[in-house]
Amino acid sequence: MFAESSLLDLLTTTPLFAVGLTLAAYLIGNGLFQRLKRPSWLPAILIAALLLAGALALIGLPYATYHQGASWLTVLLGPATVALGMPLYQQLPRIAELWRPLAICLPIAATLAAFYALAIAWLMGSSDIILASIAAKSVTAPIAMGITEQLGGTVALLMGALLITGVITIPCVSLAARFLNIDDERLIGFTLGLNGHAIGTVRAFEISPTAGAFASLGMSLTGIFTAMLLPIAWRLLGIGS
Amino acid sequence: MPVLSGFLWLISYWLIGEVVIHFTALPISSGVIGMLLLCATLALRGRVPSTIAAAAQPLIALLAMLIMPGVVGVFFIVGELAGQWSAILTALVVGTLLSVITTLWLLKRLIGQPDVR
Repeated sequence: MFAESSLLDLLTTTPLFAVGLTLAAYLIGNGLFQRLKRPSWLPAILIAALLLAGALALIGLPYATYHQGASWLTVLLGPATVALGMPLYQQLPRIAELWRPLAICLPIAATLAAFYALAIAWLMGSSDIILASIAAKSVTAPIAMGITEQLGGTVALLMGALLITGVITIPCVSLAARFLNIDDERLIGFTLGLNGHAIGTVRAFEISPTAGAFASLGMSLTGIFTAMLLPIAWRLLGIGS
Repeated sequence: MPVLSGFLWLISYWLIGEVVIHFTALPISSGVIGMLLLCATLALRGRVPSTIAAAAQPLIALLAMLIMPGVVGVFFIVGELAGQWSAILTALVVGTLLSVITTLWLLKRLIGQPDVR
């Protein structure tokens, strides 16, 4: 608002402004997170996202313009997802030990992750578009976007659902783990990745590399499974037709 | 330049994922296919080449930053969905809590205590 629109136009002609803004918000968000002694109810990514949204509103930069510039960063999500193959490989022996329970748990848990939220939203009278937008709430962003477009939901609401789900997963897991008396990093990591996608996985890597690897595994398997489940379920239930 | 050649590997795997999707019409993202292919390749070679490690480690550390631009979008649709938010929030928060409890409980039942290792 106080910035001259011409100056803002000049700065946003290159993607560097959006990239710089994102880096600044990320670094400041992380700094604040450390300063606040790493609270589990307020992850660094939420602080950073709030700072970034505040900055965009303050300088009057439309989200679409910002997002276009920031695509120079988001394009790296592809190779970054591929990179997760490395911790996955490094933990293969530990994963192999548990392949049977994980293979039984995954389809049930991934189905329920979508089902609980859909059932509650449906009971509370949400529209088909909202149901389609939040169905992939536990799936990692690049896969979830594809699913949501297929189901006819809005991607912006999906991203919100992903943020809320990812952020809320972290305290839910610590609470449930204490309640169920679980301190096995492998189980906690797998649960974080299965329910909290990339945000949960980032948190799991903060706990330990083992938790991180199980989270990557949970995240990718949930993504693959849900990507096949939801389009079929939608067709069977006849939603949105 | 180990980082660059590692990065080229990661990009190549992602592109292979794109090609696989094009020919199979799988409803999966190319990143996930690339990830599984990378994991399979490393398992076949039996070790992580230093080039891959040099590129993969910093990228994984940046994952949270890479999803930020998309995440911020939610603050700009808050107004559009006025009146719907209580249902959406309840569904997400309660749904996630139930789902986390179910997952952990299932895993505990299936795997048992860590001392069984």
